[in-house]
Amino acid sequence: MDAQTRLKQIGMPRRNNELWTFFPVAKIPTPAFPEACADTTDYSDETDFAALLPIAYNARPMQRDIADNASEMAMLKCNNDFGHTVLNIGKNAKASLEILDNKVAHEICAERFDIHVGENAQVHIFFANPADGVPLRFRHFRIVQEAGSKVFFSEIERGSGIKRTSLDAFLKGCGARLEIRSLNVLDSDDSVHHRITIRHEAPETESVQFARNLLNGKSNASYDGSVVVGADCSKVFSSQLVNTILLSEDSSVSVKPVLKIYHDDVECTHGNTCGELDSEQLFYLTSRGIPEKTAKEMLTRAFAKELFMPLEDSPAKKRLEQVVDSL
Amino acid sequence: MLSIKDLKASIEDGTQILKGINLEVKAGEVHAIMGPNGSGKSTLSKVIAGHPAYHVDGGSVTLDGKDLLQMEINERANSGLFISTQYPTEIPGVNNVEFLKMALNSKRVFLEQPEIDDAEFKKLIDEKMALLEMDERYRDRGVNEGYSGGEKKRNEILQMAILDPKVSLLDETDSGLDIDALRIVAGGINHIMGPDKAVILVTHYQRLLDYVKPDFVHVLRHGKIILSGGPELALELEEKGYDWIEEN
Ligand SMILES: Nc1ncnc2c1ncn2[C@@H]1O[C@H](COP(=O)(O)OP(=O)(O)OP(=O)(O)O)[C@@H](O)[C@H]1O
Ligand SMILES: [Mg+2]
Repeated sequence: MDAQTRLKQIGMPRRNNELWTFFPVAKIPTPAFPEACADTTDYSDETDFAALLPIAYNARPMQRDIADNASEMAMLKCNNDFGHTVLNIGKNAKASLEILDNKVAHEICAERFDIHVGENAQVHIFFANPADGVPLRFRHFRIVQEAGSKVFFSEIERGSGIKRTSLDAFLKGCGARLEIRSLNVLDSDDSVHHRITIRHEAPETESVQFARNLLNGKSNASYDGSVVVGADCSKVFSSQLVNTILLSEDSSVSVKPVLKIYHDDVECTHGNTCGELDSEQLFYLTSRGIPEKTAKEMLTRAFAKELFMPLEDSPAKKRLEQVVDSL
Repeated sequence: MLSIKDLKASIEDGTQILKGINLEVKAGEVHAIMGPNGSGKSTLSKVIAGHPAYHVDGGSVTLDGKDLLQMEINERANSGLFISTQYPTEIPGVNNVEFLKMALNSKRVFLEQPEIDDAEFKKLIDEKMALLEMDERYRDRGVNEGYSGGEKKRNEILQMAILDPKVSLLDETDSGLDIDALRIVAGGINHIMGPDKAVILVTHYQRLLDYVKPDFVHVLRHGKIILSGGPELALELEEKGYDWIEEN
């Protein structure tokens, strides 16, 4: 079943669809598809509207292979309103890939990334530049990880518009590890939505989800994160943590953690905090002469920076920290 | 220099903690405030600094004639007040050195002086860290982040040395310090102290006062200063305890 047919079958996203609980679904324009679907891959298992959209719109696939044992740093530019990127990362390869945003204004953007990570490969996928001028942006990732592979997925979302990142990860091989870090710095009517599903399909696989939100104005963030641990998967570790600082009265956050665990010998945690800036920290800084406004900026930047601190030193980390410093 | 008159302050639920504090501190003087646990010593310093948990019910606090209670928290500091709280706050993610530079430059901007340049600041901080025998680890870490109790206290005195305040109120700076650290920190306080400055030490023990010699010792109890005297008072209290005062 091709993507167009499958899309028509599942229909437009609705609030009562659990993948879209917190999303302002009324803002999604009804698609006008091209005559025929160029990609004839069978998408009958795909459940997320945003994952199908670029394919149904005949996004030209861009394939990139990184050879076994290779080491590569690259930029992935999204130049079209609909994009489909296929990445194959070979065994033992090391890659650092930055996704750059579309500079051309479009009413809606939808991108899909299919990423296969070979045994013991290590990849950092990240994006951090503001996507202004796109009122609605979908970004979907399908990540399949083989044994011993490590994926670091880091993002900083800022700028105007409605954005949704969906990610389906399949930790297929023993010892695979996925770390997702998401920083959302939002203001006015910005809204950012995450729908993450991580499937632990092998023993000793590990996943970390860490999101931090700094919400000002009337902005809104949501985080819907599911972890599924299969029946044969012992010694799995997974954690999910969402920390939010509400900088205004009208900002809001929604968090929905889902754990489906079919094995006893696992360690899975989730946590969610929401508050304002720490008043004792604010007092400390101002009591040393720092004006309140500056002190608040220092504290929000510190909160943001902490998210990326555990990452190993790399050009990617440096880039992320630079963006935080410029906030 | 610092003049506190009939200062009354309460916490959110209306309970009054400070019930009329009077204290005159002149330039060149060292004062010590002692008193039983829960008597209001820490509250006094936080109220003077402008901590939002307290409400001033009455009285006045002036520094060189200027009304501190009308000022924002940062303005009080920039006017020459330095408060070291009993439990310095940890601020992960804010680098200690960058924080110090920001604090110093805030003061300079407030006093309409140019900001310090990098080389001059480095010289200043190197000198003060050497004075307090602080190791390099202090530079890279977040403000008080993961510091031991004693390390935090030493970091407070580093801030005092950099900001060079007129009046410093140090709340139990001696607690948590090992024997050598106490000597070093006391040396730092003496170094910063001068004829145009004043220091108020809140302490439970005589040992800090062996190094930083007070001119006056005050006893605070139930939110009031109930007795003031010379340095000998601290020794007497150490020997006889606080109940002795009320019995007499
Ligand atoms: N923010 C607050 N909220 C509630 N109670 C408070 C607050 N601040 C002070 N208190 C109360 O006021 C009283 C005085 O406290 P304070 O910390 O000033 O005492 P202290 O003299 O510094 O004691 P210690 O010697 O133990 O440090 C105590 O009973 C304390 O519980
Ligand atoms: Mg105290």
